[in-house]
Amino acid sequence: MQGEDAGTLVRLAADGDESAWAALVRRFSGLVWSVARSHNLGGADAEEVFQTTWLRLTEHVGRLKEPDRVGAWLATTARHESLKIIRAGKRSAPTDDLDALDLGDDDSPEMRFLDAEQAAADDVTKQQLWAAFQRLPDRCRELLRVLIADPPLSYTEISAMFGIAIGSIGPTRGRCLRQLRELFTLEEQLGRRRA
Amino acid sequence: MPDDLDQLEQDLRVAAALADPVPVRLVEGAITAYAWRTVDADLAELVFDSLSESAVAAVRGGDQPRVLTFRTADLTVELELSGSSRLVGRVEPPVHQVDIQQGARTVPVPVDGLGRFATSDLTRGALRLHIRTGQRTVVTDWI
Repeated sequence: MQGEDAGTLVRLAADGDESAWAALVRRFSGLVWSVARSHNLGGADAEEVFQTTWLRLTEHVGRLKEPDRVGAWLATTARHESLKIIRAGKRSAPTDDLDALDLGDDDSPEMRFLDAEQAAADDVTKQQLWAAFQRLPDRCRELLRVLIADPPLSYTEISAMFGIAIGSIGPTRGRCLRQLRELFTLEEQLGRRRA
Repeated sequence: MPDDLDQLEQDLRVAAALADPVPVRLVEGAITAYAWRTVDADLAELVFDSLSESAVAAVRGGDQPRVLTFRTADLTVELELSGSSRLVGRVEPPVHQVDIQQGARTVPVPVDGLGRFATSDLTRGALRLHIRTGQRTVVTDWI
């Protein structure tokens, strides 16, 4: 199932193949979660978006006009559900992502001291990068989350999902990443000051 | 041009996977949800939602209930959700009963002669309605 393309998985799942459905969920869970979290939704709200999106697909899996673009369908559905929660104005508190980022050291005895030190330094760097990412404007977070999802959406799909021109995606990505780099540099400086 | 922005994007991908992975139990829940798929029922699709983009522009905002409409070729369901647990609705043409499903839990709700029904027995999370009309069953989209 792992190697099947998305369109085949959709057709198999529509015909009642449970393992094809499970493969779809595993393949696109990251994308759906990314979209929900890109809207700064707290844990409970993001979970609700995730669940509603997959439940919606259970009934639509045999009705998709373009089965190979199920990723875009899922991302768009998750986006709409996220925006509904925001509009309803009853979101739960956003989780503090820094608290969630508890990248403990690997305690395995075979890990050599230098490796451990390097890994710890890497973890700090990733924490700082993640902290910087949280400070980006909503639009940037939303776009980058979709671009870094695995599998990522194509520019055509992103264009349809956000209602923006394909030609503007590349430049926006560049602008958002440069802004991220600036924020990241600030985080690093703050980190050094704290150390 | 393989620039350092590509590298930054890749680093961000790794950071996201470490900092905010999909909770495993959610993935398992989505896999299990396939069992609730209804193969032999008609789907009443969501055709109006007061929280959707197009509707919100026309609404004044504030604490109004969420209003939704589902439709098949010959059946219409209107729902009004207020607070977190109160639902009133109307089904046209009227039936005797609707079943409200939330996860594995299904609650039957009686319908009056005009097709109206109400419940205050909702929990948090997605829901949908099952409606039996004669020989057929209609399910609404999950909301």
